[in-house]
Amino acid sequence: MKPEGKKTKMPTGLPSRNWYERLNLLNILVILFLFLTIFSGKNLLQDNRPADVMAGVRYFFKKFFPPDFSDFPLILDSLGETFQIAIVSTFIAVNLSLIIALAASRNISPVWLVQLTRMFLNITRTLPSLIWAFLFVIFFGPTPIAGVFALTFYSLGYLGKFFSESFESMDIKVARGLKLIGANPIQAFLYGLWPNVKAQVWSHSLWMLEYNIRSASIIGLVGAGGIGMELNKAMEMASGFQKVTTILICILVIVIFLDLLGQAIRRWITQKINPKSISD
Amino acid sequence: MISLRTENLGLQRGGEWLFRNLDISIPCGSIVAILGPSGVGKSSLLSCLSGSETPSEGKVEFEIQDGVVRHTDNISPDLGIIFQSLRLTDHVSVLENVLYGRVAQYGLKESIIGFPTPDKEKAFEILKDLGIHHLAYKWTSQTSGGERQRTAIARTLFQDPSFILADEPVSNLDTYYAGRVMGLFRNLTSQYGKIVLCALHDPQLISRFADFALSLNPAHPEGWNLREVQKKDEA
Repeated sequence: MKPEGKKTKMPTGLPSRNWYERLNLLNILVILFLFLTIFSGKNLLQDNRPADVMAGVRYFFKKFFPPDFSDFPLILDSLGETFQIAIVSTFIAVNLSLIIALAASRNISPVWLVQLTRMFLNITRTLPSLIWAFLFVIFFGPTPIAGVFALTFYSLGYLGKFFSESFESMDIKVARGLKLIGANPIQAFLYGLWPNVKAQVWSHSLWMLEYNIRSASIIGLVGAGGIGMELNKAMEMASGFQKVTTILICILVIVIFLDLLGQAIRRWITQKINPKSISD
Repeated sequence: MISLRTENLGLQRGGEWLFRNLDISIPCGSIVAILGPSGVGKSSLLSCLSGSETPSEGKVEFEIQDGVVRHTDNISPDLGIIFQSLRLTDHVSVLENVLYGRVAQYGLKESIIGFPTPDKEKAFEILKDLGIHHLAYKWTSQTSGGERQRTAIARTLFQDPSFILADEPVSNLDTYYAGRVMGLFRNLTSQYGKIVLCALHDPQLISRFADFALSLNPAHPEGWNLREVQKKDEA
């Protein structure tokens, strides 16, 4: 008699598989990633350069605190400039990206144009904002205009990609239906596609603005205007570390505030499009 | 006098003909019901007539006045289409969707400053006729299937075209509104001489409103049949 509760394995005819048959691309990638992590970690820990962490922490608290608010009005001015750089560059990038995204959408444009545009977007995304800033400071000199150009180009790569993905997720049949009853291509876009994609475009643009405010804070390190330039000046002065702390606190406060505001607006937009959705 | 003609119209899909050698001539003031079981090619025929699908052979001619013939590529403002999938813009109001019916008459000005007030009033009147005026400013995505279908019908009625192609235009409507919509089509054909072709399933609606019935035959693509419908209420 079999013990109660013990399950007997019934022959089902299900064929068993060898270990190598279970490997798919995803599993291989996970194994490769784990292997690289172990290898890299081992190499980094073998670095023999001396590092007295506690001394560093003591130095930080001694030199960087308390924050120096003596130049607070100047810091606020620079923060204002940072904000302006982010606003203008995001505005230009959103408008240019809308046009570029139409060309990069498979359901709207011919394949050759899609591939050409996507290649351009990939290239613009490859360079970090700091490198773009460095390039434009060479062209325009250390001015906020260099910052505007840098962040515009940087944003194009991301917004162009996001917008084209949004266009591709839309039902193009609505616009085609309007064309069949006489709409021209612009009207087909404005009445058949844009209203449905508008909220997503706003959401992506808002995210880009938040991102650009963070980026605008650091591109000044290479001379492209904004609070980063003040940060750079303060770091170069032996007595400026406490000012650095003040600047970092200001950046932190404004970035956290804008993040929360952006999240709230995006949540409102998402709920307006789809009241059942749960999203940030 | 307007008319709609097809000459040797045929559509092949996956190597098989859905219909072939379709030669019909529809006189002005007619409602034509397209009949046949699901998958027989009713929607495909309407797609060929509207120009959204290119026929494998043959041609479609719309005579918009005596001697003036247009084809699917230049008939657009005179051709109204009620799609089976409705093709409404979800995130704008019901009223705005109706106004899109006259998109061919609007230019950049309307895109920027909005649609003319008399047009809005006219569109609202049509919504009243169809019993959805209370939804005028509601997003289309927030309305029911039947309300969406009536919005699509209202868009075509507002467009006021000479030819209407409707793919199962009353499939989501109750008996009252199905009869009301077909009655509006009847009015357009008998009073204004327009031509309506619609895929229909309901035998009562067909016998009550259709002038002609075009049957497609799944077994014989060339075995289509166009016959005059005997009206029950006239008998």
